[in-house]
Amino acid sequence: MKEVIDNWGLFLVARELSKMIGGSKGLRLFMQYERYKLAVAVQAALECGADCKKPPNEVIALLFDVARRRGVLKGCQPVHVPEPKEPPPQIMTEYFQLIDDVVVNKMCEYVAKPPSDVISEEEALAYYQAFVSAPYYVAFRRAMYNKLAKLYKYSTILDVGAGTQDPLDILAVCEMHNAKCELTALEVDGRLCSDLERLASKHGFNVACGWEQVGKYDIAVVQNILHWATDPVQVLANTRMHARNMFLSQGVIEGSGAVFILTKILGAVRSLSWKEVETLARQAGWKVARRYAKYPDYIALFR
Amino acid sequence: MSLVARFKCPICNADVTVAITPELLKHAAERGAVRTLARCPRGHAAVLTIDQYGYIRSALPVYEQTKPDCEITEKAPVSIRAKLTTILEKGPATDADLLLLEKAKAAGWVICV
Repeated sequence: MKEVIDNWGLFLVARELSKMIGGSKGLRLFMQYERYKLAVAVQAALECGADCKKPPNEVIALLFDVARRRGVLKGCQPVHVPEPKEPPPQIMTEYFQLIDDVVVNKMCEYVAKPPSDVISEEEALAYYQAFVSAPYYVAFRRAMYNKLAKLYKYSTILDVGAGTQDPLDILAVCEMHNAKCELTALEVDGRLCSDLERLASKHGFNVACGWEQVGKYDIAVVQNILHWATDPVQVLANTRMHARNMFLSQGVIEGSGAVFILTKILGAVRSLSWKEVETLARQAGWKVARRYAKYPDYIALFR
Repeated sequence: MSLVARFKCPICNADVTVAITPELLKHAAERGAVRTLARCPRGHAAVLTIDQYGYIRSALPVYEQTKPDCEITEKAPVSIRAKLTTILEKGPATDADLLLLEKAKAAGWVICV
């Protein structure tokens, strides 16, 4: 019951996603596979010699932390999690293959060396592109922007740390409601910015390749970027200077799964709890106007 | 901020969105209409005739002679192979596909001659 109250907004989003994932049965299978993949990754790390009391690096430390939170590791003892008998929901097949490719199958290598020596920068970018544009993630973001953020009600929108897929999802939601949203996508990563500029000329939105090019907006969207940012408070403070409202969505450590290890391997610099996310926003001068969910995704509107 | 217009690709019938810039409208107003080249998400080229109101009067196909010969390498991860195969066989259907193909080439997952 507590989980329902804490995360009521996610249930609204989930209702839209429910059909795609196969209803409650599909959701249950998804959770079972999440736990199973985590257990396999933990088993692999331990078999390859990772010390669970002194993890060799941040990736393995995070794996053990997430595994303990999910009850897959008790102290240093792995818990046996049986492989689900049925296949995962169709729409999630690609996701679990990605977890196998990036997390599970390379776990022994991560025990021995840092992720940057296992996955090249070019590969990380390709994995990132596949991940952010995968149908399940696109569906999640669109449902969130439509049902919770209601972005179509705002005329000027700033997409902070936009990446290559988020602006297209925001525009899709505006288009769904025949709303004229003037969108500016901000991206400080030079490699992604050149991709964004190409997309922008085709889809009719603006691009800012740094904060100095950003104006004033009705709302800013900050979607899953705080774990990539070297100074998240500064990002949120900058956002405050440029937007009246902020819709913040951030995957948090509570209830997280293998996806956390995936993003860590691809270059995420930190993992946050929902309280930490809210504290960061407060430190940047924001006030919670409405909180939709605490975990595994913290989602709230700030003013 | 540009206006946006849509047309069906004359080769594969995909829905395509193009930005109609103020410069394009200005040229169209001066000349009655303006022609520009656009590509659909699968990479097919079309010549568009756009009037001064930003309306696409026609989209004529441009048939290109060569198509790069690409193949998926052993380095390509299992999770992305199926998607890459579809992209190479049918052409990128979306911008995300196009970006994935570019990144896959940079990562050495796809090699094109």
